[in-house]
Amino acid sequence: MTRLQLALASCLVLLVARPAFAAGTPAGTIIPNTAQVTYTVGGSQVTTPSNTNTITVDERLDVVVTLQSPPLPVQGGDTRRGLLLRVTNIGNGDEVFSLAMTSAIAGDDFDPIPSIPAIYFDTDASGDLSAADTPYVAGSNDPLLVADAFVTVIVANDIPTGLVNGAIGRTRLTATSKTGAGPPGAIFAGLGKTGVNAVVGVSGGVANAVGVYVVSDVSLSNVKSATVQDPFGGSEPVPGARITYQIVVAATGTGTAANAVLDDPIPANTTFVAGSLRLNAVALSDAADADAGEFIAGASPAIRVRLGSLAAAAGNQTIVFQVTIN
Amino acid sequence: MKIVKGWFLASALTLVAGEAPAADPGCIVVQNVAEMEQLTSDAAGKQSVKLVPATKVVPGDTVIYTVKFRNRCDKPADNVSVDNPVPEHMVYVADSAIGPNTDVSFSVDGGYHFGKPETLRKKDADGTERAARANEYTSIRWVMRHALAAGAEGYARFRAVLE
Repeated sequence: MTRLQLALASCLVLLVARPAFAAGTPAGTIIPNTAQVTYTVGGSQVTTPSNTNTITVDERLDVVVTLQSPPLPVQGGDTRRGLLLRVTNIGNGDEVFSLAMTSAIAGDDFDPIPSIPAIYFDTDASGDLSAADTPYVAGSNDPLLVADAFVTVIVANDIPTGLVNGAIGRTRLTATSKTGAGPPGAIFAGLGKTGVNAVVGVSGGVANAVGVYVVSDVSLSNVKSATVQDPFGGSEPVPGARITYQIVVAATGTGTAANAVLDDPIPANTTFVAGSLRLNAVALSDAADADAGEFIAGASPAIRVRLGSLAAAAGNQTIVFQVTIN
Repeated sequence: MKIVKGWFLASALTLVAGEAPAADPGCIVVQNVAEMEQLTSDAAGKQSVKLVPATKVVPGDTVIYTVKFRNRCDKPADNVSVDNPVPEHMVYVADSAIGPNTDVSFSVDGGYHFGKPETLRKKDADGTERAARANEYTSIRWVMRHALAAGAEGYARFRAVLE
């Protein structure tokens, strides 16, 4: 390799390894530079300034879209399910962006159905789709973002019916610089802020992010049964007889029921038997304390058992308690 | 050296155009240019890099500043030094300052003090002193080791990245 080739190779690296700056020096900024040379001739010192060269900062068109929502659990037949995304102008000048959504994406299990309208601004900053949110209308309210500013956008889709649990559907939001998009380095002469050139940045002036819907059905079933023991060794529900209730809770489906709690009232004309509460054969104290269960006294007495996050894999949860007939 | 002479032809033309109308240029004629590397591909797809004037840049671009100087008198100039500030919004690229037969020093206080990199200190926000970083240099000074002979020329160059 000759010295010239070496020099070229190192220059190429410099061009390719251009760092990604957020925003950076504003478009239209003028950067002057003047050097000076000082020397002595014949014993006297002279200082000579150079000419001043001037650089004008062009507008760089760069945008990024980031997904703000984790995969969203949905059920077949849901409507207007919103995913939150953020469109950020990472260029260095004011820029208007057009938005587009598509839910026909290959490689997922189902195509969500775009709601009408499908794109909203999170006007009330609630983080979810609500009545106050303004629908996006292409060409009418395209967002104008100053350098480094962002706008929060919600995309809404309906979920088809007849899907299996765990099925995944994707939707994509794309933001495109209205000045233009193209290969990085492409120049739109005079179209930048204050008439400077607009230069396409590393993003190409266009960016997207993909959100995910996950069909996640879960339902809890509970089956309650009772056995009676009377004081005479029989099973007659007479005063003084003891009733043992058993409740079996189970989750079905692919989802997880978060913070599942079972409350069961003590029937009228009966009295809870202190210390009789069990979860999966493990005794639970009557007090409201660190264990999973408690007896709630008062006008409407009840037992309460906190089952935590419950998925089908956890199997049956068996709760037992006893009352006596008054 | 042929290439260097070519530069000065260009500089003379610029002077005629009236860009640097110094009242008395003295013995040393100075020209300051800002350039960028431009990657071009020919029809065969072979890529090459050339320097083009940097009139328009975007954040992240690297600009190459070159101060060219020539002694036009018939006697040598002694103690020749070139000072060039790193412009506002630009960040000096480490180890990029070069100039034939010169010693390079830097300033982190706007050109008040100059020193070798290892002697330069900066204070952090909490007051602790530390070695200055190359991206904190505010000015660069090139001092020629020898006199600049009659008719001789030289240059002082550095790279900076637009923030």
